Amino acid sequence: MKNLINRIRGVERDVIEKPGDAGGAPFYKPQGDEIEIFQAAYSKRLPVMLKGPTGCGKTRFLEHVAHTLGQPLVTVSCHEDLTSSDLVGRFLLEGEETVWQDGPLTRSVKEGAICYLDEIVEARTDTTVVIHPLTDHRRQLPLDKKSQIIDAHEDFMLVISYNPGYQTVLKDLKPSTKQRFVGIHFDYPAEDVEREIVAKESGGLDADRVEKLVAAGRKARALKDHGLEEATSTRALAYAGELMQAGLSPRVACRAAMIAPITDDPELIQALEEIFDAHFPESEAA
Amino acid sequence: MSDIATNGGAKPEAEELVEIEEILQHLEDISFVAHRDTKEALPAIRPFGATSARRWIETARDLFFHDRESGKSFMRHSARLAEHMQTVELWLEQAARFKEWVNSNYALEGFMAQADRVYDAWGEAGEREWAEIGLRWCARSLPDARAYFETDFEKLAGGRGIDGLRALIEPAETLFDERGLTLDAYLEGAPIARNLVGDQGLLSWARRGADLLKAGRSRGEAYFRLESDESLKLLLEALPGFRPRMHGRFLRLVLMAWLDADIPLADSSWKPGEGRPMLETDGRRLFMPAVMDSREEAIVATQHAAAHLAFDTYAHSEVERLFARAGAEHPPLDDKSRITWRPLFAPFEARMFRFQVLFDLAEDLRVNARLAPRIPNFLPRLVALAEVHGRPEGVAGVYFDFALKAHQALLRDEPQDPRLARVLEPDADVVTAWAVGEELFADEAFPEITIEDRAEAYLPGLSLNQSLPVYPQRKRDGSLADFRDHEAHDEHKFEHQKQEEQPQQAPEQAQKDPDADIQTPQQETSGTGGRIGTGIPQPAQVAKRAAPYTPKKDGIPYPEWDYREQRYISDWVNLYERVLDDEDPERAATILSENADTLKRLTRGLEMQRPMRLAPLRKQLDGDELDTEAVIDYIADKKAGLSPKAFIYRRRAVQHRDTAVLMLADMSTSIMARHPGGQGKIVDRVREGMMLFAEAIEKVGDPYAISGFASKQRDQVNYYWLKDFNEDLNDTVRARIAGVSGRLASRMGAGIRHSLEAFRRSSAQRRLLLILSDGRPADYDDGGDQRYLHEDTRMAMKEAVDAGVHPFCITLDPSGSEYLPAIFGPGHYTIIDHVDELPRRLPEIYLRLRQ
Repeated sequence: MKNLINRIRGVERDVIEKPGDAGGAPFYKPQGDEIEIFQAAYSKRLPVMLKGPTGCGKTRFLEHVAHTLGQPLVTVSCHEDLTSSDLVGRFLLEGEETVWQDGPLTRSVKEGAICYLDEIVEARTDTTVVIHPLTDHRRQLPLDKKSQIIDAHEDFMLVISYNPGYQTVLKDLKPSTKQRFVGIHFDYPAEDVEREIVAKESGGLDADRVEKLVAAGRKARALKDHGLEEATSTRALAYAGELMQAGLSPRVACRAAMIAPITDDPELIQALEEIFDAHFPESEAA
Repeated sequence: MSDIATNGGAKPEAEELVEIEEILQHLEDISFVAHRDTKEALPAIRPFGATSARRWIETARDLFFHDRESGKSFMRHSARLAEHMQTVELWLEQAARFKEWVNSNYALEGFMAQADRVYDAWGEAGEREWAEIGLRWCARSLPDARAYFETDFEKLAGGRGIDGLRALIEPAETLFDERGLTLDAYLEGAPIARNLVGDQGLLSWARRGADLLKAGRSRGEAYFRLESDESLKLLLEALPGFRPRMHGRFLRLVLMAWLDADIPLADSSWKPGEGRPMLETDGRRLFMPAVMDSREEAIVATQHAAAHLAFDTYAHSEVERLFARAGAEHPPLDDKSRITWRPLFAPFEARMFRFQVLFDLAEDLRVNARLAPRIPNFLPRLVALAEVHGRPEGVAGVYFDFALKAHQALLRDEPQDPRLARVLEPDADVVTAWAVGEELFADEAFPEITIEDRAEAYLPGLSLNQSLPVYPQRKRDGSLADFRDHEAHDEHKFEHQKQEEQPQQAPEQAQKDPDADIQTPQQETSGTGGRIGTGIPQPAQVAKRAAPYTPKKDGIPYPEWDYREQRYISDWVNLYERVLDDEDPERAATILSENADTLKRLTRGLEMQRPMRLAPLRKQLDGDELDTEAVIDYIADKKAGLSPKAFIYRRRAVQHRDTAVLMLADMSTSIMARHPGGQGKIVDRVREGMMLFAEAIEKVGDPYAISGFASKQRDQVNYYWLKDFNEDLNDTVRARIAGVSGRLASRMGAGIRHSLEAFRRSSAQRRLLLILSDGRPADYDDGGDQRYLHEDTRMAMKEAVDAGVHPFCITLDPSGSEYLPAIFGPGHYTIIDHVDELPRRLPEIYLRLRQ
């Protein structure tokens, strides 16, 4: 009963749910032909791999296309303790007996959803093996523990994300896995696109600040690979814009959104501060 | 003239005069020169009375008989002293005292040459003290006294009168007694050093130099001449200001972010006391002075220098156009394929510096205007710095003001001086700037400027553009993106290569190269233009660089702790990783067969110690599999009416606590000795110990490494890998261990610090550093101060603990308990009395520690 009420109130919803009409598709500004590629892949139900640095819009892109396609999207963020049973399902004890519970992947396969395995390399290697039969012509999910094979729903589609360069040599997808996907490459958007995104995401930050923010962020990206493992992302720029909108001074907002989260290296912090401070003179108050 | 001596020697005037004549006569018989000089000086002395005159001529005679040169010096300077000081007795008595020593003539000459000026400046009391200090040095050592009297007293005083003199000489007196420090060495650098470290710091600065002087003369002297990097380093650390060297990475990151340019930074040859520190470039690197006024200035300076590179100040094509314009050909590139602009300046002859400043002014404005749109706060920062800096005094102020005004106008978008406006046009290049420079040069409102004032004419952060020969650049038009490809380098560090490469040339070669001395930014380039053109090569004076001490700089630098100053001295120790090539496979086989029994016994014990691998964790709240037993318990409990918690899963995880161990052996000469408590040499037991240690740990399966260290002074610490962590225990490793022998001294702190670096590569949770030693840490250059390296080792221990490494010392030194508790702390060391036990004990100690 309580669950039902919650569901009506929108607090809790099932993993697999078709996107509603309220609010329209999430904002996404295409950088190139990624939408066309995805739609083509979807029409043939080919698995897709989204490549690109953190915070450049991969997840947002997928939310956007899933919404436009009217397909439910199941997102699983992979972490190093994620095992295949977390994806596929496991036996649980319920009362006197054991009960099988489907994992998110199994449910997507059965019910026909876009299943998005975010940062798949983070998961244990056994998970990547589970998805192999799903990614070729078979489109099947074997459930070893139940001795079953599930044929995928015709609307089912597998999407993984993959952040090249982020992985170490030890953590990389096997070539045999990689070659099963259609790859879409993402990068930080072009400057004018990025300005538009930041302006939109921050909820109407004035154009002058957006311009400075984006210019500074792009300078900061030059420091990637010089001690900075993750470059200043579009997401971080949007956060900084939101913080400014919320009344923080630009310098404080930049430190909070774009310096503090990504590095502890004192020299790097100084160098980043140097860049942001140059764009936002001290006199500029909130 | 009332200064008639009141001492007991006074006689009736007539008598005195007679005596004077007698002495003159006597001198005439002996030496023509003495007689002539005396007669010449006498009229200046006579007005002070007959008694003074008689006493003067007696002193002159006595000094002359004592040492002809002394006498002559005395006579030659007397007239002047008498006239300037209006007294005779004072200096006469002082000069007479030089008779006490043989060969004191140089010191006396120095004394006579300066006494009147000292008297003028400091009065009688001051002069007395000045002379007294010098005479005390005569008693100690005459060369030192000579150095004292020959050094300009103002320089000794450092502008602080007699107090300054006292403060300068006091440390030397202390150290002469303590360490035999000579004053002539000390005085070379002490006046400059005092300005930097203050009176308090002087003693410790000099003490370190005295230690070095004891260890090696040329090195010690280089220290005091401020030529060795060790003395410079110490001085620079005391200087206030921003140290680009410490922030090299930051500055590079800033350049990278703004200009996408990865420009290497290096140390410039600037030394304290050489005027304003400025940044220089050779087109490949930026040479940073050791200290700059502020962080702001350093940032502006690096950005500005990068702008010169980006906007083609040094482009080959542009320089050629400059030469073509001047109707000259560029002289052939130097042996490093660098170009120079010097011949272009030659036509300006004596007014060359004036033109240089004006041309730089125009060119700096040009590149700054180009840079400004790329770096939003560059111009505001530069102008703010200049405004705070303020107008320099003298003629330089005119240029400074002009430059500041131009930049202010640029910043505020105000109208420029029409002449300068031309360099701001989009197509302006260095040739335009040159033309503007010439136009400004014609304006007589700019006063003549000397080389001394030149540096002051620049805005902060800007600097001479043509101080170094430059590697020709291709035209970049603002893009430095390819700069990173230029040379492979370590991006995180200042290049170890120093700017000064020239002095290593043979002297003859240096003289042939007209630009041999071009690397000194503010050298005495005489204003006549004779040296500057490419015409007749003239002997280049490579000043003060006769026999430079070149420090080794290619090793891995480590800091060292100086307890006397309670601070770290950065990059003090130079460490080299070396391979020990004395392999001895036969001995390895012998050691193994002789110790076969011990090894067998050890092995049996060790089998039990094998780490557990991949142990399943049972009864987990969460996991991959159901833990059947736990499930049964759970269901049973539940059926029995209890409410058990659902710890029913099983998970696999690596559980063993992995330990990595590094054995660091002291390989100093002392291990070659026989140990009183055992048979054979210590080194034999060390080899056996290491061998058993290696075999034993191999059985246990822990990652381990074995290394040794030996040192020869602070700039050469050798670190030998006998077995690295990732190496297998093979016959080569065994042969290396068997080939260990003792050499040099033991600078333990550096060895420990380098071991910590090695641990950083290992991922083990527990890290154990076993130090095998046979005595105190000591080195040749510790000046006999045992405590110095003790304290440094103690600090290295602390660093180890902070880095998560557990240090433990095993020593063969029976007196180890005297100092080990202080260094390692109680319980972190063990003393092995019987050296023969070492081989057996080593693996045991390790196994005990790893539990």
